[in-house]
Amino acid sequence: MAEVVLQGVSKSYQGKPTVHAVDLAVADKEFMVLVGPSGCGKSTTLRMIAGLEDITAGRLLIDGRDVTHAEPQKRDIAMVFQSYALYPHMTAYRNMAFGLLKTSSLSKPEIDRRIREAAEILHITHLLERKPNVLSGGERQRVAIGRALVRQPKVFLFDEPLSNLDAKLRTHMRGELKRLHKELGLTVIYVTHDQIEAMTLGTRVAILSDGRLQQVGAPMDLYMRPQNTFVATFIGSPEMSLLRCAMKPNGSGSVVSHPAFTTHVPERADAGEILLGVRPEEVIVGPADGTALACGRVDRTELIGSEALAEIVVGADRLVARTPVTKVPPLGAEVGISFDMERVRVFDAASGRVLSRL
Amino acid sequence: MVTGPALRARVSEAGLAYLLLLPSLVFLATFTYWPILRSIYFSFHDVVLGSNKIYFLGFENYERLWTDKLFWKSLGNTVFYTLVTIPCAITVALLLAVALDSKLRGMTFYRSAFFYPVMIPSVAAGMVWVFLYAPGYGPINSAIAALGLPKVEWLYDARWALPAIIFMSIWKYAGYFMLILLAALQMIPADLHEAAKLDGVSAIDRLIHITVPLISPTLYFVIIIGLLHSYQIFDYVYVMTQGGPADATNVLTFYIYQNGFQYQDIGYASTLANVLLLFVGGLITLVALVFGRRVHYLGR
Repeated sequence: MAEVVLQGVSKSYQGKPTVHAVDLAVADKEFMVLVGPSGCGKSTTLRMIAGLEDITAGRLLIDGRDVTHAEPQKRDIAMVFQSYALYPHMTAYRNMAFGLLKTSSLSKPEIDRRIREAAEILHITHLLERKPNVLSGGERQRVAIGRALVRQPKVFLFDEPLSNLDAKLRTHMRGELKRLHKELGLTVIYVTHDQIEAMTLGTRVAILSDGRLQQVGAPMDLYMRPQNTFVATFIGSPEMSLLRCAMKPNGSGSVVSHPAFTTHVPERADAGEILLGVRPEEVIVGPADGTALACGRVDRTELIGSEALAEIVVGADRLVARTPVTKVPPLGAEVGISFDMERVRVFDAASGRVLSRL
Repeated sequence: MVTGPALRARVSEAGLAYLLLLPSLVFLATFTYWPILRSIYFSFHDVVLGSNKIYFLGFENYERLWTDKLFWKSLGNTVFYTLVTIPCAITVALLLAVALDSKLRGMTFYRSAFFYPVMIPSVAAGMVWVFLYAPGYGPINSAIAALGLPKVEWLYDARWALPAIIFMSIWKYAGYFMLILLAALQMIPADLHEAAKLDGVSAIDRLIHITVPLISPTLYFVIIIGLLHSYQIFDYVYVMTQGGPADATNVLTFYIYQNGFQYQDIGYASTLANVLLLFVGGLITLVALVFGRRVHYLGR
C-alpha cells in the first residue's frame, strides 16, 4: 500500500503564498498527474511531497504516516528529475547503485540483481557501463527511472521528465511509462505542463492554477465536465471557445441570448451573464440558411492532418470548429453554425464556475 | 581548395592574428624567455656584478649544490612549506566554500570577510602577523597565556618559525582558493545534490562522492596555482624572519635572493633558480600525471 494524502498543504516564500491549501489523495497504484501552466505551483507541490521544500502549513501523509516534516530519505520515495540529475562522473550502473551502496544494508549481489532487473525492464542492460555524457536523452531518462526503480520506494515522483526530449521520443517514453506503471503497479505522482501528457498518462489528473487546485478527476471527466473556465480552456487543444451570453430562467431550463443567436439550455440560474463553452468538435458547420443556430464568417483555417480547424467570427466572439478536410469552408465565407447542445457547458461569467444541470 | 579572395581573406586574418600577438610575444621574450636563457648561461659561469667580467666554470656551480647544506635545507623547507600549506589551505577553502555555498542571509558578507586577507598586500600582512606573533605583547601569546599555557617565541624559535609562516600563509591563501572553489560549487546543478539527498546519502558522502569529483577541474587548477605560489614564497620570509632563526625559514627563493643580491654570486644564484625551475616543472608534471586523469569535466 502506498497512499499519499495532502491535507491543506500550503507553501509560502517570505510570506508570499505560492501553494494554497491543496487537498489531494493519491490512491495506491494510482498514476496521478499534476498539471498546470508555468508557475502554478505543481513542481513546488511535488517538491514538498519529496521533502525538498518545507511545507508551510497542512499535513502530508504517506501510507497513513505523517511525514510533513520528515527528511526526504525518510519518506520512502524516489524522484525522477526534469534534467535527469544523473551523476556525470559515474557510469549508468554506478548511478543506479550509488544510493543503495551508501544508504541501504543490501548486499552487493542483491544490489547488482536489482540493477540488472531494472535494466532489463528498461532495456538499458547494454548501457550500464557507459557514462551519462555518451547516452542520448531517452537513454538518460531510462537510467534515471532505473535509479528510482532499484530503490523500490513506495511512491515515484516525476518532475516533468519528458520535457527535454524531442516530440517522437516523448510519445515513445509516454508509452514506456504507462507500461511500467501497469506492469510494476507503481504509485506515481507526475508533474507536467503538457495537457496531452496529463491526459494520456494519468489515472487521474489534478489541475492547478495560481497555486490552487482547480479540479481532480479522470482525464475524460475533466474534458467532458470541467468545473470552471480555467479547466475548460486548459484541457483540450484547441481550447474550448467561450461565448459571452445573457441568461434568463425559462421553464425547466434557461434561455441563452447571444447577439448572434438565442437558444435553450437545461442549466438554470438567476438571470445574469454567462459564458457558453463549446469545444471545436461540438460546433456543427453548415450552410448559412435558416436551419443553423447562427451565422458567422470564416476568419482563419488550419489543416491539422486528417481534420481542419476553422476560426469563425460570431458577433463579437470567435469560436473554433473542427471539420473534415473535405469540408473546410473557404476563408471569408458566411457559414451557419449549430452546437451539440447536449455537450455544451454553461459557466457563470463572474465566477467562472460551471452551472449545474438540472 | 581555397583560392582567390577567400585565400586572401584567410591569409590576412592570420596576419592580423600574428600582428596582435606580437606585442605580448616581444614582452614575454624580453622579460621571461631571455632572462631564463641568461640564467642558464650564467649558471655555468662566475659572474661579477657591475663589471663585464665573466669566467666559465662548467658544471662547478651544479657540483657545489650537492655539498651545499643550506641549499638542501632551503629546498627541504620549501617542500615542507608547500606540502603543508597547499593541502591545508585547499581543505580549509573547500570547507569554507561548502559552508558559504548557500542562499542564507549574510552570506555575501561572510564571503567578503573570508576573501579579505587576499586583498591585503603581502608585506602589510606580514607586518601584521609579526605583531600578532610578537613574543611579549602579541595577541596570540596573550591568548595562550590566558589559557595558562607557556608563551612561544613564534618567529624566534627554530621549531615554530616555519609553522608560524605556514599558518599565516593558509590564512592568506584560503580566501583566494575559497572564492574559486565557491564559483565551481555554484556550477553544480542543485538537483544532483537533491537526488542524492532523496537517496539518503549523507552530507559527508555527498561532499566526497559528488561535490569533490564535480569540482575536480577547479581543484586541479587550484592545486597547480597553489604549487606555483608556494614555490615562489619570498615576501613573508623576507618581512617576517629574513630566513631565520638559524635558517629555519630559509626557502629556495630567499636563498636565491641571498646569493644573488647579498653575496652577489649571480652564477650560483642562477644555478639555484634553474634547479628551482626544473623542480617546480617536475612537480607540476607529477601532479598532472597523478591528478590530471582523475579530473572529471562536467558534460564530457
